[in-house]
Amino acid sequence: MRYYLRKLAFYLVALWAAVTLNFFIPRMMPGDPVDILMAKLQQRGSGVDPSARRAYELLLGTDSDEPLFRQYLSYLGNLVRGDFGISVSDFPTPVSTVIATSLPWTVALVGIATVLAVLFGITLGVFVGWRRGTWLDSLVPATTVLSAVPYFWLALILVAVLGSALGWFPLLGGYDVVLTPGWNADFLGSALYHGVLPALTIVVSSVGGWLLGTRNMMVSAMAEDYVLTARAKGLREGRVMIWYAARNAVLPSVAGFAISLGFVVAGSIVTEQVFAYPGIGSKLLQAVQNNDYALMQAIFLVITVAVLAANLAVDLLYGIIDPRTRTGG
Amino acid sequence: MTTLEVADLVKDFRIRGGLRRSRLRAVDNVSFTLTPGRTVALVGESGSGKSTIARIIARLERPTSGQVILRGSGGAAVPNRDYRHHVQMVFQDPFASLNPFHTIAHHLARPLRLHGRTRTRAETWSAVVELLERVSLPAGDVAHRRPHELSGGQRQRVAIARALAPGATVLVADEPVSMLDVSIRLGVLNLLASLQRDQDLAVLYITHDLATARHFADDILVLYRGRVVERGPADQVILDPHHPYTKLLAAASPDPAARGRSFDIDPAEVVEAGSAPPYEHR
Amino acid sequence: MTNLSPELLEPRPSAGWRNLAPRWSPKLAVGSALILTITLFGLVGPLLVGDPDRIDNIGLTAPSGGHLLGTTQTGQDVLAQIAYATRGSLYIGVLVGVMATFLSALFGIVGAYIGGVVDEAFSLFSNVMLVIPGLPLVIVISAFVPPEQRGSWTIALVLAITGWAASARVLRAQTLSLRGRDYVLAARVAGERTWRVIGVEILPNLLPLLASQFVFAVIAAILSEAGLSFLGLGASSSSTLGTMLYYAQNGFALQRGAWWWFVPPGLIIALFGCGLALVNFSIDEIINPKLRDLRRRVGAVTRRATDPAPSPGDDAVLTLTGLSVTYQGERPVRAVREVSLTLRRGEILGLAGESGCGKTTLAYAVNRLYRPPAEVTAGSVTFRDRVDGDLDILALTPEELRAFRWSKLSMVFQGAMNALNPVLTIRRQLEDVLTTHRPAMSRKARRARCAELLALVGVDPRRLRSYPHELSGGMRQRVMIAMALLLEPQVVIMDEPTTALDVVVQRGILREIMRLRGELGFAVLFITHDLPLLLEVADRIAIMLDGQIVEYGSAEQVRDQPRHAYTRRLLDSFPSLTGERGAFVRSGGAP
Repeated sequence: MRYYLRKLAFYLVALWAAVTLNFFIPRMMPGDPVDILMAKLQQRGSGVDPSARRAYELLLGTDSDEPLFRQYLSYLGNLVRGDFGISVSDFPTPVSTVIATSLPWTVALVGIATVLAVLFGITLGVFVGWRRGTWLDSLVPATTVLSAVPYFWLALILVAVLGSALGWFPLLGGYDVVLTPGWNADFLGSALYHGVLPALTIVVSSVGGWLLGTRNMMVSAMAEDYVLTARAKGLREGRVMIWYAARNAVLPSVAGFAISLGFVVAGSIVTEQVFAYPGIGSKLLQAVQNNDYALMQAIFLVITVAVLAANLAVDLLYGIIDPRTRTGG
Repeated sequence: MTTLEVADLVKDFRIRGGLRRSRLRAVDNVSFTLTPGRTVALVGESGSGKSTIARIIARLERPTSGQVILRGSGGAAVPNRDYRHHVQMVFQDPFASLNPFHTIAHHLARPLRLHGRTRTRAETWSAVVELLERVSLPAGDVAHRRPHELSGGQRQRVAIARALAPGATVLVADEPVSMLDVSIRLGVLNLLASLQRDQDLAVLYITHDLATARHFADDILVLYRGRVVERGPADQVILDPHHPYTKLLAAASPDPAARGRSFDIDPAEVVEAGSAPPYEHR
Repeated sequence: MTNLSPELLEPRPSAGWRNLAPRWSPKLAVGSALILTITLFGLVGPLLVGDPDRIDNIGLTAPSGGHLLGTTQTGQDVLAQIAYATRGSLYIGVLVGVMATFLSALFGIVGAYIGGVVDEAFSLFSNVMLVIPGLPLVIVISAFVPPEQRGSWTIALVLAITGWAASARVLRAQTLSLRGRDYVLAARVAGERTWRVIGVEILPNLLPLLASQFVFAVIAAILSEAGLSFLGLGASSSSTLGTMLYYAQNGFALQRGAWWWFVPPGLIIALFGCGLALVNFSIDEIINPKLRDLRRRVGAVTRRATDPAPSPGDDAVLTLTGLSVTYQGERPVRAVREVSLTLRRGEILGLAGESGCGKTTLAYAVNRLYRPPAEVTAGSVTFRDRVDGDLDILALTPEELRAFRWSKLSMVFQGAMNALNPVLTIRRQLEDVLTTHRPAMSRKARRARCAELLALVGVDPRRLRSYPHELSGGMRQRVMIAMALLLEPQVVIMDEPTTALDVVVQRGILREIMRLRGELGFAVLFITHDLPLLLEVADRIAIMLDGQIVEYGSAEQVRDQPRHAYTRRLLDSFPSLTGERGAFVRSGGAP
């Protein structure tokens, strides 16, 4: 119980830190983003709406004499209501709507790709570690090349080879644009089809890290006395491998999930850009290119919250698979 | 000469269990005095608080209450900054107590320079050689080696030399031989004993082994859960124990002279039959 | 001896570093070659190639003699561009690597060493920085900085600030473990100052880890910078592999088939990263020697020089004849040399010896638990089964061996803490013996049997639901004994079964072993360094020295008429609790 409470408290602190960071970054930076935004709004033919200006000011800072603390409180209030202002790059859609339409794409893509990478990587790592000393060992250095390849470069090569040259997969987008999004087989099939290459990019780039980490832990676990005991007990190989060696070897991999997830999120933003995928990563870059600060700030917050939630989920899972966390400290 | 007085030492550890915080009293009101030329043995099992006492005396830990006072030959307390000149410690695990990165000479030269025992480089080296010879190690061979090139017994001798380097007069030896192979334990203990006699050291010998405590020390304090349950001259405590816990320890210690001792009897039961307070054993 | 010149004793400073240097291996060779080549290319290349920005009217030409890697859309030489871009990327990578490593050392090492509130705060800060996604944060910060103010240093600083946390966590964990090491405590007792303890005692031992974290930071920085530049958010007017790819992509290099423009920059990043990762492998092997390459010798099957000898006497249950075990390697170590021993039915045979004498290797050889590079080179192990007669253990097939283990011969290991799997309940660990060896047994019968055995060794059967960490050392060892007896084996090998325990607990366990042997009649091979304990419990005793049995006889014989000088030395090493002092010198002058 104590473990769970501590984790929960930690993520609340992290969330608060991210929200606060988000509040201060634009205020510390040079330039006047609010004016830029208002200028853009006027270009789009929208009158200077004081409420819109107010929302931007809370998000990005203001010239007025309003004390910082008051601004901060109002900013928190707007966050809770989900009011991030109007997106200027998707004018006149509210930022919250832009996020609501793009977030599911990213969550599905990154979620599925990560789960696949984790499953592949851990399974391979367990196997390679178990068969240590055989030709499989030479596979390990090879995976480092994959981890060192820039995501976007791999993505573009995949597009060029599997998309353009061979024509197996579509080059761009999240679905066939002739279809209307909805819960029907045609659309879901098209979305899956379009998702193959982006997902492949993420899986190929991140599977090596999982493989290597698990393999190293596997090698360490196999030297432990309890594995020796299991062998002495005359248990079958498969049982020793899974329930004694692998069961312990995956714990550090799970505990280190936060680090890996950071890389995956970073990679997926760039990957989405390459594929013009309708996810939140593309929206973030669109916002950056158009000085759509409001959208940018909101997306950063949303990504952070999603990452925190994923880490929290993994930490809770860790509490279940490692009994030692439940008692004691 | 210096004496070390340990007076009413108490150490509490906070333990976090569940949402409540509780306290564990690791050392409970322990007092004793170390005098030059005498060895006091602290005997107890794991969790008895004996190592905590050693760490407090070595100033690695602060006591919750109580005092450790070092008195010079005139009876006046030694000032704080000179404390480490006088009080040094030998650790249990010779494989962990020497830094794998540094040479043996470095381990001895540092305390010599730090405590101003030597000034020039040549002086330091001759002092290092002298220290190594005092612990019966071939200086020319050992000085520029690294810990992993030495055997456990040799390392423990280096650790003893390091403790002597600042010119210590009080030596805390925390299980100095329990990690060593049995056939070399005696040699290391005998070395400690002869060093002590030569230099009139005050020694605190911390151990779980009643037999070496009896033969090595002059006085024995038996610790149980942070409390001294029996104290007295070594032979008296071991051969004629009064407290049931001491009896229990004595009955449980392996004794080559006791072959054929029946295993049918639980030493704990024998002791409890003698109307002792119940002692919990994990 | 005292007049040894200082020069002679002067430590050679290089020796300590040599211990930290990675072992030469093909991985390290390939890795360093990659890094060196690319670094050299980045350093020297720009001096050799032409102006990367010179525009020519031969846009997008394929590699040829004039342009070794072809030209870009505007006719710039790709090779020249790559040379400058490599330099730019390396510059950013090293810059970030240094800054991030400094930050992680500051927050990781200093926090962990000081401990208390500082550590809590630093650790919380690192963890928060770790879970806040780095690249989105970098993008947001870069977006607010106007392009004209976005220099290499700004980008490097932002990348360092968002990239140090993971390695701070690693360094903290390692420092926490070093901080409690005896040599650090010894330095404090010697009176060393805090900064010196950190700098001289702790830091050198962290060097491999720091190096590994630095390498990792450099890879991450080059990749992140490439991503950032590719998105058009990199340092302005800088030329890196990322900006090159950005221009290549915007010039539709791939779509127009100009692979020579797009592929090489990515390849250089990948190869450099791969080189760093390969070097990191070698560094990891210093940090964790278990990871070192292990070459399984092909055809290293067990050879037997001798046929199994018929067991001497009818009461023998386990007979070792001329058994030799060797650790193969450049210099083979003969850990066990021609050992012959007989374990009689129901007896306790003590095997005593000191660390490194080969007693544990011998124990593992009995049921072939040794792992490469250990190998039985000669001798035989014969098990006389009550039902099946003589079994030649070294000749069993893997499946026969598996079935033999535990059902006829089980083991109790020393590590009270480590012999049980920390993540499975006691019940699972007891039951999987039964599900494997007694597949016909019903679930209910299995449970009953496990409970029965726990009760037999004096542990409350409710403990079946516990995990190992919830039990005390003594209880864990009792559970191990219960596990060893589940299948009613004829032989139990006990390797230092009570060594890590307090004497009173030890006594209780020994009592239990003696009682159970009386009730169940199994034979015990009892391995320990504690000769007095063997003298009390064993029927016969063998003393082992340097892989050989130097003394073998009944307990009384060994005690009263030891033949070998080593046995006498061992006996003299244990002072008698109640007897005379023997070779012991009392330290104090007092009578």
